[in-house]
Amino acid sequence: MLRYLLKRSAFMVVTVLAVCAMTFGLMNIIPGGTAELILKHTFLELEEIPTDEQIAEISSRYNLHDPLYIQFSRWMGNALHGDLGTSYILKRPVTYLILLRLPATMMLALAAMSIAVLIGVPLGVLCALKENKLADYILRIATLIGVSMPGFWLALLLILVFSVTLKLFPVAGYGNISYLVLPAVALSAHTTAITLRMVRTGMLEVMNQPYIVFAMSKGLPTRYIVTKHAMRNALLPVITVLGLHLGHMLGGAVVIETIFAWPGVGSLLVNSIMARDVPVVQGCVLTIVGVFVIINLLVDLLYTYIDPRIKYV
Amino acid sequence: MKNMYVAMLALILANMLFFCPAASIDSEKTLNAASMWDIPDVDPILRGDAWAEKTLVTETLVTSNQDYELLPQLATTWRQLDDKTWEFKLRDDVFFHDNSKLTADDVKFTLERGAELDAAIAGYLQLDRIDVIDSNTIRILTKNPNAMLPASLHSPSLGVISRNSVDKDGKFIKPIGTGPFKFESFDAQTHVLTVSKNDNWWGGDIAIDRIITTPMTDPNARASAIEKGDVDFTVDIPYNEVERIDSIDSLSAKIFDTPYLYRLDLNTGHEPLNNIDIRHALSYAVNRDDIVEYVLFGVGSPSSVPFSSSMPWANNSVRHYDYDIETAKELLADAGWIDTDGDGTLDKEGKPLELSLLTYPTRPGLVPVAEALVGEFKEIGIKADLEVLEWGAITDKRKDGDWDMVLFATNCALIPDPQYYLQRSYGTGGSYNYVSYSNPDVDELLTESMETEDLQTRYNLLKEVQSITQEDSINIIVAHYGIAVAAKDSVKGFEFDPTAHDYKLNPEMDIEE
Repeated sequence: MLRYLLKRSAFMVVTVLAVCAMTFGLMNIIPGGTAELILKHTFLELEEIPTDEQIAEISSRYNLHDPLYIQFSRWMGNALHGDLGTSYILKRPVTYLILLRLPATMMLALAAMSIAVLIGVPLGVLCALKENKLADYILRIATLIGVSMPGFWLALLLILVFSVTLKLFPVAGYGNISYLVLPAVALSAHTTAITLRMVRTGMLEVMNQPYIVFAMSKGLPTRYIVTKHAMRNALLPVITVLGLHLGHMLGGAVVIETIFAWPGVGSLLVNSIMARDVPVVQGCVLTIVGVFVIINLLVDLLYTYIDPRIKYV
Repeated sequence: MKNMYVAMLALILANMLFFCPAASIDSEKTLNAASMWDIPDVDPILRGDAWAEKTLVTETLVTSNQDYELLPQLATTWRQLDDKTWEFKLRDDVFFHDNSKLTADDVKFTLERGAELDAAIAGYLQLDRIDVIDSNTIRILTKNPNAMLPASLHSPSLGVISRNSVDKDGKFIKPIGTGPFKFESFDAQTHVLTVSKNDNWWGGDIAIDRIITTPMTDPNARASAIEKGDVDFTVDIPYNEVERIDSIDSLSAKIFDTPYLYRLDLNTGHEPLNNIDIRHALSYAVNRDDIVEYVLFGVGSPSSVPFSSSMPWANNSVRHYDYDIETAKELLADAGWIDTDGDGTLDKEGKPLELSLLTYPTRPGLVPVAEALVGEFKEIGIKADLEVLEWGAITDKRKDGDWDMVLFATNCALIPDPQYYLQRSYGTGGSYNYVSYSNPDVDELLTESMETEDLQTRYNLLKEVQSITQEDSINIIVAHYGIAVAAKDSVKGFEFDPTAHDYKLNPEMDIEE
């Protein structure tokens, strides 16, 4: 087990490094020079053409003349010392900016994930037990809608119904728990639907296994069979998918964050990409990838708990 | 499992109780505003308009009215000593929010800081040095003759702040201004900015006690927030929502024209756009009235000239290009473009008349307007290929000369002086001169205007520039950009300032229940 953990950790470091290097490269490949975009987002109007002197001044201020590999290794070296640099645009330490945003992102992702699990898993089981009955049909149609409906549209519908019409929740913003409800529901819809579908499929498969038939014929209560025998086996693939989705929620909730004016890492990342604020982009990517690989590791470790037959060597 | 659901239900109910609407118990007048821009931090260098316009914490030396005339604010008078020296007298009854007196040293500090940290400001001011003559008098010396210096001082980034706004090491602490509102708090996480009434404002007593500005960058979210009543005031709601929001009983949504333009730049270095007749044909083919009415939902106003007729420097006798499809077709036919193969697209010497049209999605009106233009050019037999790119990608294509037409938005009176727009757009090497247009007559008039002190003489010189550039048609003005301001009816006294960035609040505003 220890060997496995060491091996995995090594892979994690390589993954994070590779992603950071790729991001750095991509940031310099996409159209629009870095110095020029920094100028446009700090000093000039968006559509104004900067002069050559202005570009030269910014380039030397942020060492943008150096070859890319030197720029990258300088960033990497500082990052290893825990210094992620200072934002070109906001002139604040990147760590400070990310730590401001991370709690909001975590809160939103965990709330959305809780909704997905608490609703998706039980309803998935229900669907499987009532296969081809009315409840199953209704829920299957609902999941189809949940999977197909774009997040931003659902978000706007939720605002319209629960905020503007029923006046239950604030439209947008960040504050007490009432601000969390709508964005969490909007963010969770897709994951909830997928979870429900996967649990249903898994349960149907497992419920036809001989050991379940045996348990039934033994006269065990259905409830006991479902929770102790069937669900444990049906949930394995679901956990893998949920792990991936949690990763996405932590980094990719940009649209939801924008609509609900939620101060998360996703919107910080997108704004920084637009302004070519490279240190902030690198910091955000590092954080998101870091969290992502850690979640993946935790998911794999969770397997051994749920299914003791799985052993890592 | 059952227990878990009971617990969840209890949690939800508890929340419902917890967030019953926060009724304001005190009689304080608070204005809740949703801003379309994120305010990233408290330093006015980052977003000067957040302080000088959206919250009235800072004030500039010079201000302007709705007719684009310059008016004194913190400065009482100004005059030109020679062509590179301007002298400004300051009010002597103005105190900062920390009760220190406004002095010439603070003004010097603000202007020098602006010129050092902001490249655009440095370009406007052309600063050589600033001399403090006495506590109420400063002299600004410029590197080149700069007749638009007073107008440049209207820039919100030059809202005057006290030297105490920064610490000993020059690190910014908080903006200490002179305006009717003073800085109270800024939430670094949510970027919510709160300012409160300055009881000692030199301009007198004001009615509103507090302004809370929340950034909401999504236009739909702003519309919902004003509809539900979460905020009292917001701007730039989606164009198609303006009429509906306005029809709601307790709300009003008004459309104002801004000095922003929808402008289509033509690459005069390319065949066939190097031919002035083709450029004129394109301009005649644009049905500006229909575009504003059906594409922009009436938010904006049709125009083929950059300056609106209400601007004192506008030359209203320049050539206008009113929609005239016959003239457009004639011009093209005279230039030898005829549809010989009957495919709907004109051709000449076997080559079809195809032009690329680039735009970017950052501003909501651009892509729909570009789509409408494609349809209108098709009417006269020109095939325009629309490509929607990020602005950075357009800049790259522009550098390579790989473009025919670019639709974008630009402000023609960000500084209330015609030189600002004309110099940048038509002067050789100007920062909005995308086509490398260079006309010696224009350059000469622009230089002469920069060296002239008398405003009327300058306006006359610049009116001449307008008639030349309007004739040359290196770009096509499609419409003036509009902005919708939505507010509760209880918000009284708002007046639209066209020289502001999107909008500026005014101290006369009040909230009546």
